[in-house]
This record gives sequence, structure tokens and C-alpha cells, in this order.
Amino acid sequence: MPDSGPKSLRKSLTGAFPPNPRAGYVELGVTTPFSFLRGASDAAELAATAHALGYDALGVADLNTMAGVVRLHAEARRANLRPVIGCRLRLVTGEEFLAYPRDRDAYGRLCTLLTKGKRQDLDEGWQAKGLCDITLDDLACHAEGVQLIVVPDAALPRRLAELVRCLPGLRHIAVSYLYQGDDRARINRLDRLARAHGLSILATNDVHYHAPDRRPLQDVMTCIREGTTIHRAGFLLAANAERHLKSPAEMARLFADWPHALQATRTVADACNFSLQELAYHYPQETVPPGETAQSQLEKLTWAGAARRYPAGLSQKVRELLVKELHIIGLKKIPQYFLTIHEIVLWARAQGILCQGRGSAANSAVCFVLGITSVDPTEQELLFERFISIDRDEPPDIDVDFEHERREEVIQHIYEKYGRHRAGLCATVIHYRPRSAIREVGKAMGLSEDVTSALAKTVWGSWGTSMGEANSREAGIDLTDPLMARTIRLAEQMIGMPRHLSQHVGGFILTEESLHQTVPIGNAAMPDRSFIEWDKDDIDELGILKIDVLALGMLTCIRKCFGLLKNHYGVDLDLATIPPDDEPTYDMLCRGDSVGVFQVESRAQMNMLPRLKPRRFYDLVVEVAIVRPGPIQGDMVHPYLRRRDGREPEDYPSPAPPHDPDELRHILGRTYGVPIFQEQAMKIAMVAAEFSSQEANALRKAMATFRSRGTIGTLEELMVGRMIARGYDPDFARRCFDQIKGFGDYGFPESHAVSFALLVYVSSWMKCHYPAAFACALLNSQPMGFYAPAQIVRDVREHGVEVRPVDVNFSEWDSTLEPAGGGFALRLGLRQVDGLGREAAERLLRVREDPFTSLSDLALHARLNGRAIRLLAAADAFGSLGLTRRAALWEARALRDAPDLPLFRPGQDEGEETPVALPAMPLCEQVVADYQTLRLSLKAHPMAFLRASLTRQRFVRAADLAALPNNRRLSLAGLVLVRQRPGSAKGVCFITLEDETGVANLVVWPKVMASFRKVIMTARLMQVTGRLQRDPASGVTHVVADSLVDRSDVLLRLSDRGFTPPLSRADEVRHSIPAPTQGHPRNARIIPGSRDFH
Amino acid sequence: MGTNESDSRCHGSVRILSKDSNAVALRGWAVGRGLPFHGWRMTGRRIVSVWLPEFPMERWQRGQVRMGNPPPEDLPQALTTEGTHGPVIHAINRAARLAGVEIGARLADMRALCPTLKADFADPEGDRAALHRLALWARRWCPWTVADDEIGHGLVLDTTGSDHLHGGEAAMLAGMEAALSILGHSARPALAPTWGAAWALARFGPVRAICADTAPLPVTALRLDAEAVLLLHRLGLRRIGQLAELPRLSLARRFARAAAAQNPLIRLDQLTGHLPEPVSPLQAPPVFRADARLAEPILDPSHHLPELCRALCGQLAQAHRGLRRLRLVIYRTDGEVSRIEAACALPSRDPAHLAFLLRDRLDRIDPGFGFDLISLEAPVTEALATTQADLAGGKDTGLALAQLVDRLAVRFGRKALSELQAVASHVPERAECKAQPLARGAASRPGAGLAPRAERPQRLLDHPEEVQVLYAVPEGPPAQFQWRRRHYRVARYQGPERIAPEWWKDRPGTRLRDYFKVEDEAGHRFWLYREGLHDDGRGGTPRWFLHGIFA
Repeated sequence: MPDSGPKSLRKSLTGAFPPNPRAGYVELGVTTPFSFLRGASDAAELAATAHALGYDALGVADLNTMAGVVRLHAEARRANLRPVIGCRLRLVTGEEFLAYPRDRDAYGRLCTLLTKGKRQDLDEGWQAKGLCDITLDDLACHAEGVQLIVVPDAALPRRLAELVRCLPGLRHIAVSYLYQGDDRARINRLDRLARAHGLSILATNDVHYHAPDRRPLQDVMTCIREGTTIHRAGFLLAANAERHLKSPAEMARLFADWPHALQATRTVADACNFSLQELAYHYPQETVPPGETAQSQLEKLTWAGAARRYPAGLSQKVRELLVKELHIIGLKKIPQYFLTIHEIVLWARAQGILCQGRGSAANSAVCFVLGITSVDPTEQELLFERFISIDRDEPPDIDVDFEHERREEVIQHIYEKYGRHRAGLCATVIHYRPRSAIREVGKAMGLSEDVTSALAKTVWGSWGTSMGEANSREAGIDLTDPLMARTIRLAEQMIGMPRHLSQHVGGFILTEESLHQTVPIGNAAMPDRSFIEWDKDDIDELGILKIDVLALGMLTCIRKCFGLLKNHYGVDLDLATIPPDDEPTYDMLCRGDSVGVFQVESRAQMNMLPRLKPRRFYDLVVEVAIVRPGPIQGDMVHPYLRRRDGREPEDYPSPAPPHDPDELRHILGRTYGVPIFQEQAMKIAMVAAEFSSQEANALRKAMATFRSRGTIGTLEELMVGRMIARGYDPDFARRCFDQIKGFGDYGFPESHAVSFALLVYVSSWMKCHYPAAFACALLNSQPMGFYAPAQIVRDVREHGVEVRPVDVNFSEWDSTLEPAGGGFALRLGLRQVDGLGREAAERLLRVREDPFTSLSDLALHARLNGRAIRLLAAADAFGSLGLTRRAALWEARALRDAPDLPLFRPGQDEGEETPVALPAMPLCEQVVADYQTLRLSLKAHPMAFLRASLTRQRFVRAADLAALPNNRRLSLAGLVLVRQRPGSAKGVCFITLEDETGVANLVVWPKVMASFRKVIMTARLMQVTGRLQRDPASGVTHVVADSLVDRSDVLLRLSDRGFTPPLSRADEVRHSIPAPTQGHPRNARIIPGSRDFH
Repeated sequence: MGTNESDSRCHGSVRILSKDSNAVALRGWAVGRGLPFHGWRMTGRRIVSVWLPEFPMERWQRGQVRMGNPPPEDLPQALTTEGTHGPVIHAINRAARLAGVEIGARLADMRALCPTLKADFADPEGDRAALHRLALWARRWCPWTVADDEIGHGLVLDTTGSDHLHGGEAAMLAGMEAALSILGHSARPALAPTWGAAWALARFGPVRAICADTAPLPVTALRLDAEAVLLLHRLGLRRIGQLAELPRLSLARRFARAAAAQNPLIRLDQLTGHLPEPVSPLQAPPVFRADARLAEPILDPSHHLPELCRALCGQLAQAHRGLRRLRLVIYRTDGEVSRIEAACALPSRDPAHLAFLLRDRLDRIDPGFGFDLISLEAPVTEALATTQADLAGGKDTGLALAQLVDRLAVRFGRKALSELQAVASHVPERAECKAQPLARGAASRPGAGLAPRAERPQRLLDHPEEVQVLYAVPEGPPAQFQWRRRHYRVARYQGPERIAPEWWKDRPGTRLRDYFKVEDEAGHRFWLYREGLHDDGRGGTPRWFLHGIFA
């Protein structure tokens, strides 16, 4: 599932649950964890316990939300229980009700009511995220068909008459027997009160957890919610653990004196004729013109598109493929899905927004001819029905990537076209992760910040993303201490509990009717964004279709590059018409020369390229997918390389005789018998271990949840056991499973890899043939990719392109191409100047008809404020005016920052200026200032100033490494570009150093890492002594570090101000690696994390 | 007072400088030190700036020592403030600095760098207050002292004319450094004719600099912010001397409108004395004290007490303050001094009450041959506005309690007094605790103002007493029980109220309690509980206890 950052932590029931006989009692007051920080047992636990206790139906009533109903619905049905869907409403005036809709319409009204409360505050303003304001009037307006049960409070006797008058649906008062001492008296009192108003009492146990032993967790949740500690919480906590799920028999014993209270629960539950499955999903109809059905329209568009794609006529193969796919689409009743995506893609294309689809259904011929994708399916052996299976009732999956700078336009188009009441973003449920769990639980348990962060680092470090591997002894934490042990136990229970809802990166759902009748919609923290309460798993569960509108930086870059090619070189291309199978392009990739290229630009990929030596498109598909933890952990990389080079025979393990000996050849043939893709791994489970599609699904979900949970172990036994039983080699079986384990976190499906591989090819082609245009487009699409502008510029200069500095008389906002000799030179744009606003730059460009002759001329005409001019001066952008950086700064300082009124016109009130001779700026300071203002320097590399001294000390240069013999001991110094410690590399740290001649790759083994930890973490200029290591096959060289020295002090010599050279965007020390726990899901990377590997 | 014989050369230059008219000598002084003369101007003042580079960390360390857990010097320690993205390092000790920890970085980043880094919360407000107290403490050298916490921490003293009291300027600076180090602060003092120059020298000049040359100091020493310093560096102006050589007009045109922290010209003028920057000290807190000087020695001070109390309370009322501590000092004719102290639970300036607090203890004074001076002081005071308790003019009942507490405390000692306070706990014996009467922060105690939902008995036995109970197994109410060898037959009951153990406090295996309110045939009401359930797996048959008696 590569489309959203964090994995779902959903637990799900498996196993057999024979139906229970009809019980005399139904629990309706159930709080799940989606009443955030209130319920302490998830849906699976509640459903399983309810089944074991003999219930036949189970209610759900979360506080002012429907966010948890789908999960309870799904789990209850798995446990053979009838889910009764409702919610708990709390009015702004404090009254609380359990609300259970009788039918679909009443459910719609309830959702509308919640939407109103979540979208608008009481003054009809924009509601803050997470609040829900409902008044009695609102409730009365939306209560038709909703069965209301009032939850008593002290004010009820006074208020009840009014409530009964306003709310005809109010028939019951909820009563609980919670061992509070006065239960009998209270229930009798409420019973009398109910009778007096013609109501009845209704028994509930106010369930907050499935079993009494969850009370500690619930108490801790209360503390987190109220922002207190367990020692201070006092009466905020319940006195006992009675609010658990009790059996109908137990409830009958407690309510023996009030049988009608039990009977009432049955009445209410039986009157609920509503199931979430009734939320029949209707596609928007806009895409189907009158007189057509969706299927006929899709067919029409498909054949029209096919004629456009294949102007030379359709081959028999394509025709058959299209007919077959259209047939499946018709069977699955999803033509509208394709039409809707087609409409969006068409619109985007009309606006000049580049986009590309990917995902299982996207690699179909239909998508190709409709223009959703650009990979010709006839050239790839990707079979459509492998991804949309007829028997599996799963929605198809198409993600569409748009240019990252213009995705918002697409989102707004969707809102405009379908209306905000019909289009909504999905939610993402933010779950407690090990670190957040230990941190918040620790705080609630009264532990200090020191202790909790130490705990988070040690006990949980291996699951988190920490750089620290310090064990608990080092951190001074005694894990045998009962408080610590308890905290850890509670935190473990807390992991996976939902924490809050957030908006999904780009998952839209579109409906024909009003969306708020299906699911409540709430406001996001971002202005003008709202999202529904269900996440994508919920939507999948209900069979509602989602369209992922995602952002991809490389598409922006490619579109800009297409524009440059058209304008400067007169070459008009798009994704589908790039010349295929271009030899020089593959030659370039084989050299590992891939700075800036999509996906394969990371150091690990760069090292892989010379070994994999891609020569055709499918090699790129493999290249994209192979440098991932999945294949790496499964140890699939080296066998693949060996077999591809023919150094090892292709070998397909086969099962014992009764089974088809070639069954794995069918699955793994394309990859020389080595499973590389997620689909292959799952397919092995299904074919070689005979997993049913349900079991395979459970396997996929178990992978997505945490590895500590027991289910994985049982599935491993199951799979490995079955494979061995069918005659497979135990070692092979285990390796297969290991790989699936890796896929759980960073799986990479072939269906996505194909679409990505196209972008790899396109960007490589551009880099190969038009390096100037490609670098220019890259710079104009920042921030994106792996490298900082400094490295992109350096790379393009190495490819012989002239790069010209920022200049007020020549630069546009974006970087541009300028004619130079026969070709083009790259002129850096004003956007490179740190801190300069776009608006100021635009103003400057508008008035630049003739070149500016002086600083005051520029200030006068462009009406720039002093700050903007000073920024330009500091960036040395006045070269064409004959002003050095220092002179420009001195002049800029003298300009008045005043409104342009006649009185303030530049005059020299103070008298004539005496020329001041400022000291000339030495080159090294120029370079430092360049880095500070532009983050790159065209003048020199900082290391060049140190070279003389370094050479004297017998340091080698990065460029010399290629000529040195293997195993040679050497010393090297350079600026630190990237520091990475991939999870799959067993603690090995990779560092890339840069000097004026090139880059050098260091490998730091854990032992060395331990002794030079501080140097590695802090040094910006590093000096390393080590041994050269060269891979004979690919010629890739590394320096294996023995000792490292921090020489950042040398940078101070260049300029006595602090100078910090820019790091690559992928550096894990400064920018934490894009692992699941980091950051908001809204900002999550769309591309699955590429974890580096050596 | 030391002689001037041993005074340094520098001291000689002081004399020249302080004579306004001797411009020729000044020129000689300035030019001799490479300073352009045109900028220098007489201030006639001698300003000492003391830099306390480690003030927050040293203050924290001192606090730790006082609390009995002195932090080890060799462990990296940091103080943090809340930043937008989590804690940010505010101060560090030497070990942390050696480990590479930087001030201003995020704690999480620094932890990654130095896993053993300990962190505590910084207290910038407390630091500021402490620095101001320290400024008052520094009055021992001269009357004009201020705290300087605009950038970093430091003190500024105007020692013009007071150095001879401390053995000359050099000796005075050494004395300051020594005295501050006794307090636990490392300090770098420097002396110059202006605040700006002294500030610069203290931080960037030689050790204990006296009027040293400021021209070679970096422009950072001008108290400029980072942006201004960066600009000057980009312009190639790195030393104060370089800046001072520039034409005034050019500088003025470029920086005229900038605020002081960004304006090199203003800072330069402050350094050279063109712009005055006087040291205007804070006032020390007022002393409240009333004296009775007696013509003849007397043996009994009680007649004078009411008048003294009235006088003291008058002073307090004028300052809108009330006293928390009261001290009566009696100066005997034979030179002996006796003191009586009393304290108030709430700030007070009620003469009658104060007199009452002292009256009973007067007999503890040994009058000897009599005394001739009685002094009543209020060493600790707090703000106390004039209040009106209610419109009817009735007494403030809270005040009456406070006065009762004071009187009892005077007589029996504070330790003898306690007040029962409610604690928010469901477990009955934990629901109250003994606390200092009227202790501060009682209102913020957990659960203050909350009460358990169910009724509690008037009398709770300190230790629940086991009773023999007849009841319907498993969960039935008690029917009959035997307590202290008497049988009681239960006529009525209410319950059970189930109270589970506090899992975070109680030992594992502690059993829950089911409380019953029962009434026997004679109308006595008891509070019984059954400890545990039959099937809870935490011991055998549940036992019964009597925990309280209702009135």
C-alpha cells in the first residue's frame, strides 16, 4: 500500500464464530477508542468478547462521531454479531443521549447533524478541528426516526419535561448498575421519573473496555485526555473496573428487579433496521452523457482513445486485450470509476498539468488508451486480471500523481465540479506509535521527560527511527522497576489505539448524493479543508471507491523540462512520445550518472545501477523495486544480479510431484526466479502455500500491523509449514516469508514500479540529451528529490554546461536557459536568493525593460523595499552593474526605505557622500557568502581553499579514488553531504563527502560508528582515514573508514562567521528519515520510502 | 584604603580621563592606543561591567546542591526552554560543552549526539529575579548597580569614586571576581569609562581589563544583533576600530533609522561616550520598622507594643503590604539583644492581632537591667490590598481562621498544628490527609473541592476491624455480623459500593472492596466492607471489615 505514509495499525479478527442464539439483552452504551482517549478496547476485542459472552448483537455509540462504526461493523460481522450502529451525542448544554437511527434516512439525518456540529460553531463560523457543537434545537430538527436514550445527570429531573416535549424520539432513560453504592435507589428513582414522563428505563453498562483488566489503560487515557498524571487525577478516574462488557446473564442478574430495562434494549436494537451495508454507493453521474450508460460511454471513449494512441491501427493483441478488460470492468460494475478518473485527468491535461496514473488497475490497456497512464501495456507483460480479480471483491486501485506545485488546482477542480457536499477527502487515523505511546503514557504515569525519552529511545528504539542504539543500561533505566514495567506494559496496550483523525494525503471520495448523509464531515486544521470521518480501510470495507489525487515533484520537473525543450530546442514531446530504448540514456544510467533522476538518484540506487546495468525498460522497473528493504531483507538482490549476469543458473524451486512443478516459474519467470515485487510475494503465498484469498489478506494486514504481535508468528508457521509440506526447500520457504515481512513495511508493487520506471526513463533521457534544460527544470521545481541545488548545479557543470550567476539584469524568477556558443547556458533565477519574496521579484521583472544602470535606478523603478535590495546585494546579484557584493551592500544600505513621495525622492540631505574604501572581499569569503545567500557557489568549492594544505598532508582528492589500487590506505577530507543509516544495513552508516573534484562514499561499520559517534553526528567537514574498497564487477568504490576527525573548525578559517554548507535533503541526521512516525500524514511522502542500501 | 603607590599605569590614565578639560592628555591616551581621537568624549565615569557567562547553569547547580543532590560535574547537563518544536537548550555545563552540545539547538538533536545528556527545565524568570537580587547584593562596592540581562547575564556598576574604598580599581575587580566565585558564579569584570566599552571589554577584552583598547575588539562586542553583525562582516568591517574610522556621515545615512541593537552608530557612540548611558539602579525593597527609644530603661515592653504595632501597620498600609513575619528586637542596656519572632499564615497588618501574637511571648525575654530601645520589624512582607469582606461590614471568616492559626502557632509551635484536607481518592482512608494549616497551594491540590459521590461515615476507624458476617454467597449483603463480641442483626442495607484498589499505588494482588451501609435493629448505622470477590483469584474466601460508623 504505497500511497500513504503511515501504515494502518488495524487489528482484525480471524477464525470461526458460530452464531449465538438471540439474547435477552443488547449492550448499547459501547464506547470504542474512537471516542478518542475514552474507550480502551478496540473493535476486534469488543466483538470477540461480546461473542464469547453470548451476545447476538452489539451496539456502538461513540461520542459525537461515527469514526469507529465501520470497524465495529466489520468486526461484529466477522464475529457473527449484528452491529447496531449509533452514536453518543453530547449537546453544548451538557445533556447526553445515545442515538440509534431506525433506518437509512434517520442515519443520514444523524450524520448531517454531526456534520453541522463539526463544520460550524454556534455562531455559524468555521468550527475548530475536533470540536462538535450541537444544540437541542439542532437535535430536534434532525431527530426524526432516531431513537434517543437520555443519559441521566443531576439536572435531568428538571430538564426531562422539556426534552420529552422537544424530542418525540426520546423513549428511554439509560440506567447503569455500576456498583456505586446507591445503584438500587438511583435506578428506582429514574424508573419513577421515566414512568412519570411516559418513558421507560433502558439498561446499559456504559462499556468502556471489553474486560476489567483494561481499567488501568482507561485510567491512563483519562489522564492523557485531561492533561494530568495518574497521581493527581483523583475523582476523574472511575472508582472501579465495572464498565466492562458483561454477559447478558450477568446483566439479567443485576437488573432482576427491572426486567423492562433489559427488554427495552432488545426493543431499541430490533427497531434499528439499518446496516452500514445499505450505504449503497452511487457514482457521480456527471461523466455519463444523456442517452448513454456508463459502460457504453466507457467503451466509446476507449475505442476513440485507442484510435488516437495507435494511429497505425490496432493490433489484434491490443484489440483482444481491450475487449477483455472492458468485459471485466462491466462485470465488476466499475465503469464510472474509470470515467471519473478519465474526467479528472482530461481536465488536468487541458490545464497543462502533467499527471500519471499508477496502481493495480492503472496498468491496463484501457487506462493507457484513455490517457491515464503512458506505459504501453502491449510492451509490458502486465496482465490486467491479475490485479482486478473477479472473485475477490476488492475495489480497483488507481492513484493519479500530479505535479506537486499544481495539485491544489486539481483538488479545487474536484470540489468545484462535484460540490463540497459530494466530494470529500478521506481521513487518516493517527494511531499511537511506540514512541508517542511511551511518551504520553510515561507522562501520565508521572515519569519525567528525561525518563520517558530515554525509554522511548532504548526500549523502543529498534522500532522507531532513532539514531541511538544505546541500550537501557547506558541510559540508566532500570527495567525491573515496577513503575517502569507497568508503564511499558500500558504503553504496549496503547500502541495502535487511535489518537486523532487527520486528513488523508489525497484520497477523495465522490458520491452522487450528499456526502454528509453517508458520513459526518469535519473540518481540518488547514483552512478550507474538510474531510470525512472514515479512513481508506473503512471505505474499502464498505466498497466505496476512492480516487487518490497525489502530488509528485518529479512531474513538475518533467513538465517544466518539456516546456524548455519546446521553447529552446523546438522539441515537442510528452510522456508517451519520448523516444524509447535510447542507448545513450541506458549507457548513462549504467555509469551510475544519475544525479537528479527520479528514484534512482540515491546513493544506494547509484551503486546498484552499475551492477544491474539496465538495458531495457523492464530493467528500470526492477531497479526501482529492488533497492527496498523487502528484497534486501529477503536476501533477493544478489541472487537476482547473479542470475541476470548468467553467473548462476535460473532455478525454480518446485513442489513435490502431485503439484505443478512449474507453478513458481509462472510467477517468477520475469525476474529470473527471484521474487522482487510485492505481488509476487503475495502470489507465492497464495500458490505455493495455498493461502486462501482471506488468509492472504490477513497476511497482508498482519504485516501492516506491528511485528511484536503474535499473529505473524502463526502466519509464518502456517506459510512455511505449508510450503514445506508441499515439498519446498525449508530454506527457500523461510526466505520467502522474510521477504514478505519486509514488504509489510516497505513493499513495492510492480504495478507502481512500472509507472515510476517510466518517469525514471523520461528523466534520464532528459538528463542525457538536454542536461541544461533538465537541471534548469530541477532547480525550478525545488524543493524535491534527493539533492540540494548545490549538488544539482555541480553535476550539471561537470556535464559541461555553463552556469551563470544570479543577476538583476539577466535572471528571471525561475532559472532560465541563455544562448551560449552553440548551446545553452543555465542562468540561475532569482528564486535561488534566500528570503527574496516572489512578489518583489515580479515587481523587478515587470519594470526591467532596459537594463538597470544603478542601484538607485533599480530601487526607484521597481519600488523594491530596502530589505529586498539588500538581499539581492548580499547575493551578489549586481554584477552586471559593476558592483561587487561589498560595494552593492554598502550602497544598498544607504537607500531609503521610504514611500515614493516627491519630498522623499533621493536627495542628499546629509551632504555629499564621501567615498569609503571598504576592504576587498577575499574569494573564500565570497564563497561563504554565496553559500549563505544562495546555498551554492559558482566561484569555487570551499574545499579548494584548503587543498594546498591538504595536499601537503598527503590527502587524496575524491577524483583520485578511481585511479588508486584496491585496498589502499588513504586519507580524505570533504564536506559532509549525506549521512544515512538504513534500517536494513544492520547499523552500518553511510556518509557521502564532497570536495572540489567530486564525491566520495564512506562506509562506517558499527564499531567505528560507536567510537566516532560525535564526529559523525556533528561534523560538517570531515577528515577520514580508511581503506579503499572497489567492487570488481561494477567498479563502485568506497572508503571503509577506520577513523574520522571533525574538522569543521577549518570552515571557520574561511570566514569567522559560522558557515554551514548545505546538506543533501536526504540527510538523516538533520532531516529525519521519512519513516512512518515522522511528521503529519498530510505531508507524508507520496513515494514509498526508499531505504538506502549498499 | 590602599595607597596609590602600587597603582598601575592604567590608574594614572584614569586621572587624566576624569579631568574633562585635559584634552591634550586624552588625545595622547587615545592615539597611544590606536584609537581615533575624534570619537572620544569625556564621561567622567568609571563603569564596571561584570559578565556572568554561566549564570543560569551555576544558579541551577547551586539550587541542586541546596536540595541535597549536587550534580556531578563530569556528566553533561543542560537546561531547556520550550521551543516551537520541543525543548531547546538554554544553558549547558562544561561536560556538555565538551560533548558538543550547543546552546540554541533542540534537545532531541543533542540527545542523539550525546545520549547521556541530562536535562532540566530552565527558569529564565527566576534567573532574571536572581540577577536583580545579585545587583542589589553588588551594592557593597558602590551605590549604583543594575542587572544587565539584555544579552546574556551580567551586572553593571558605576564605581566612579568608590574604587579607593576597595583598594583601587584593579584590586576591586579582583575582589568582585573573588566574591562572586564564593557565591558560585564565574565572572569576568572589566572597567571602562562607558557602559558600552566596559561591556565589550568584559566579554571580549583581556582578563580584568581596565580601560583597555576597544579598537581591536570584534564588532560583536558592540551589543549588535546577529543580523547587524553579519552585515558588518559582509562589508568587511570586523573590528570596532575599522568601524570607527568610517566617516560618520556614511554610517549615519545607512543606519539612521535602525533600532539600537541594529545600529552600529548608536552602539559606537555609546561605547565612546557620545551617547550617555547612565546606570540607573533599582531601589532596594523598603524596610518596615518601628522603633521606640526610651528615655529610661524599662523591664516590661508590653505597654509600648500596641503603639509600635500601630506604627508598623501604618507603614505597611501606606505601602499596601501585609507582613508574614514579625520580629521584635529588644536592645538591653548592657548591650545584649533579644529577639522574638512570629509568623502569620496570611499577610496581615492588623495591629491588635500582631500585638496578640507577641504578648504571650514577652515573658520569655530576660530583661536584665532593662532595655532602652525596642524595635519592631517586618522582615517578610507580601502585597496586601485593602479589601472589603462584604457589604454588610461583617468579619472575613477566613481571616479569623488565619488569626486563630497564628495564635495557636505562637503558643504551641507550628508543628503542633495540622488541618485535615480532602484528597481526591476513592479509597476512604486516602481521601484525607493532614496538612499545614492554610498552606499555600492547598487550592491546587488534586481533587480539592471534589468529593466522592457516595456518602462517607462521620467516624472512620484508623484501622478497619475484622468482623464475622453472615451473608448470601457470593455477593449478597450482610445479614448479621459480630463486632467487638457483640452481635448485630442487619435491618436495612445499601450497597454495594465497589472500590477497586488504586493499581498505580497498591501492591499487586490487593483486593477490591464492596462497601455496604447497614443499619441494625436498634438503628445503629455501620459501614462494612467485604474485601475481595469469591472468584477474583487473589486469596481465599473474602473477609469482612467494619470501617466506619455513621452518627
